[in-house]
Amino acid sequence: MKCIETERLIGYASRLIDESAAVEVRRHLEQCSRCREVVDQHQRLGAVLDEWKAAEPTPGFDARVRQAVDAHEAQQRSRGLWSWDWMRSLALASLGVMIVAGVAWFVRHHHGASHYSQVAARQPQQASPAPTSGRTANAQTPPVAAAVNLTPAPCLPKLDSLTPMSSDEKVAQAMEDYDLAANFDLLSEIPKGEPRVAN
Amino acid sequence: MAIESDLDLMLRVRDGDAASFEVLLRRYRLPLVGYFRRMVRDQAMAEDLAQEVFLRVYKSRERYQPDARFTTWLYRIATNLALNAIRDRRDEVSGSADEDGEGGATLERFVDPCPTVEQRLVQRDRERLIRESVEALPDNQRAAVILHKYQEVDYRQIAGILSISESAVKSLLFRAYETLRVRLEPLLRDGQI
Repeated sequence: MKCIETERLIGYASRLIDESAAVEVRRHLEQCSRCREVVDQHQRLGAVLDEWKAAEPTPGFDARVRQAVDAHEAQQRSRGLWSWDWMRSLALASLGVMIVAGVAWFVRHHHGASHYSQVAARQPQQASPAPTSGRTANAQTPPVAAAVNLTPAPCLPKLDSLTPMSSDEKVAQAMEDYDLAANFDLLSEIPKGEPRVAN
Repeated sequence: MAIESDLDLMLRVRDGDAASFEVLLRRYRLPLVGYFRRMVRDQAMAEDLAQEVFLRVYKSRERYQPDARFTTWLYRIATNLALNAIRDRRDEVSGSADEDGEGGATLERFVDPCPTVEQRLVQRDRERLIRESVEALPDNQRAAVILHKYQEVDYRQIAGILSISESAVKSLLFRAYETLRVRLEPLLRDGQI
């Protein structure tokens, strides 16, 4: 008779095989003393291993677990005030405010600068108004401001800056630009001195 | 009154029921401390690790998904902690193997019938030999044997705990039990069981 492999015998003794396989092993054991001895040894081993008793927790164990859980809860509560969600919201809000402020500053600065250059270009004309000026009365700079040579604040929008320029004004502006360009050529022709000599 | 299942209790813990956590603590304090005591030997460390398991269960209660048995999840946490602790303390454990102050016990000592020696001392020696034989197993075999033999966890569940296949668990257990049978053979022979 062929013996059953040891693994199956151990499985039988340790209840690691299913019932149908166990029935087959049981039938074999009735006829095979050698296999029966292996199973007996493993069943005795099970009983010997049971001699190793489990240790019980010390009396303060439960209290220590509760204490650890309470400490964790307290930590979570204190961390809730400065949680990542809260900080992320704060960071996003700050970023939003910075973007809005940046856009506002850019619009204001850019708009003010263009207005300033426009007004500055017109000032000589305002000081001695040309008879051909076609500007309407409400678009003119107030005479008092022109007389004391007041410069309008560049950041404050004016109604006249929003008014489209007439053709005469465009010609006058073109002349101003030409004068500026000519002066620039003159300035660029000024000698720059002797070049430095390296020691 | 019907006994509430671990799953129901854990789902209630997830919903913030502290009383259900207390029930789980009372239900698993003894098995877990016993498991760690056998895995790491040291009582204080066993209790620290068991406490850590309960704390981790509590911390992860909101993420708990009932897709596996509660005990599988519980013992998976416990086993990972135990195996890490064993690795961390391996040198220390091997250096203090004779904490009872009776090093060098031979197997003959246990087969020698000594009717005059107190039964408690004999029992202590037998227990120490069993403990040392289990501790001498490779980590995975040791965890599998303790889970199977002492915690009475089914081998299918052990597969989930150790994250290996069922056939691998059976193979681990076969090898472990056969090794133990050879090592503890004097105790099996002397008939004092």
